Amino acid sequence: MIESLNKAFCALPGVGKKTAQRFVYHLLERNREGGMNLAKALVDAMEHVKHCSSCRTLSEKDICNICANNNRTNTQLCVVETPTDIHAIEQSHIYKGKYFVLSGYLSPIDGIGASELGLDELEQKLHQQDIEEIILATNATIEGEVTAHYISNMAKQFEVRITRIAHGIPIGGELEYADINTIAHALSGRKDYDL
Amino acid sequence: MAKIDLTPAFLIHRRAFKDTSLLLDFFTQEHGKIRLVGRGSRKSKAPIQMFQHIKISFSGKSDLKSLNDVEVDDQPRSLQGEALILGMYANELIARLLQDQDPYFELFEIYKQFINQLPKLGKQASYWALRLFENSLLSELGYGLDFEHDVNGDEIDTRIECKYEYQSQVGFTKRSIGKISGNTIQLMLAEDVLNTPNVEQLKVCRDLNRARLHPLLGNKPLQSRLLFWSKN
Ligand SMILES: [Zn+2]
Repeated sequence: MIESLNKAFCALPGVGKKTAQRFVYHLLERNREGGMNLAKALVDAMEHVKHCSSCRTLSEKDICNICANNNRTNTQLCVVETPTDIHAIEQSHIYKGKYFVLSGYLSPIDGIGASELGLDELEQKLHQQDIEEIILATNATIEGEVTAHYISNMAKQFEVRITRIAHGIPIGGELEYADINTIAHALSGRKDYDL
Repeated sequence: MAKIDLTPAFLIHRRAFKDTSLLLDFFTQEHGKIRLVGRGSRKSKAPIQMFQHIKISFSGKSDLKSLNDVEVDDQPRSLQGEALILGMYANELIARLLQDQDPYFELFEIYKQFINQLPKLGKQASYWALRLFENSLLSELGYGLDFEHDVNGDEIDTRIECKYEYQSQVGFTKRSIGKISGNTIQLMLAEDVLNTPNVEQLKVCRDLNRARLHPLLGNKPLQSRLLFWSKN
């Protein structure tokens, strides 16, 4: 039993045998109640969390809270790589539209193509709904850029404004500490300065 | 090989490996194509960029050597849109066709030039640059074609009405029903992108090189072709 619990903890990212053992002894010796709660919460989540049928994020309900929220506009759709990205954007409280989660990026060499990312669903959405703007918020990595390019080509057939989130110098950051690629990107993506 | 210091390289592919590491495929000047483990690389604040000339140090005796150090030896270059996809396509060709740890000095220089000019070229010219890169790659691998003579050793007739057919891995045969004009074959001798062929000729060259690459790639087509969105 102890051994299988050890192994189970190794499923967590960043947790090796040693750390797993620490977790196991901690729960068994010091916090049985915490352990019971963890077990129950895990079973609940594993059994009941699925993907929102509209935006593909993780959700307990068929339609997630964001998609079901009538106070949010349906005319803006923000495409992100992971549910964590939604969480990050939501914390800024600046975006009032809806999302679409790819759960990854395009990498045909590794067997991840358009259908794995639900891009046919996205195309359907653009076709059927009154979306005015699609915001490409994939990561500023080569893979994120390739994915954004593919989606923009697909979206071009619809009457929709296609935008890409800006990448650049962190707010409060100083130029001299930014790496050259970030500086180059920030310069090429500069915009008019409104007084 | 125990320890290699600062050898010129390009990153051509990367994928996640365990929790915090990356499996990195490099095209290096002196050691050809090589796969290294970048331990902890996923957490790096300044990740290694593709399409940027770098110098890498690596070590290890096993099959899977470790990346120890990276120095950027280039200006920032961000390939965007179509240019980025063409770059990915070139990277996949290298990943698929080059022997592991076999140096290809000349091809390394040609790849470097190709990547360098890619952001500056227009659409047609960038496709032409890719065709010329394919030509160099095929030549380096020993599959070069004689663009000056047909299979019988006769000089290619470069008049536009003169048609040829490509015979797999052999060469060109003069045939009235052929799809390749002698004029287009002559274009393939180009060493730089200065004179970009017209759209029709570009298509013929694309199909020709696709046919030439096919036996080398076998039944597994190039996956980066899937990066081009097309309405089906
Ligand atoms: Zn949703």
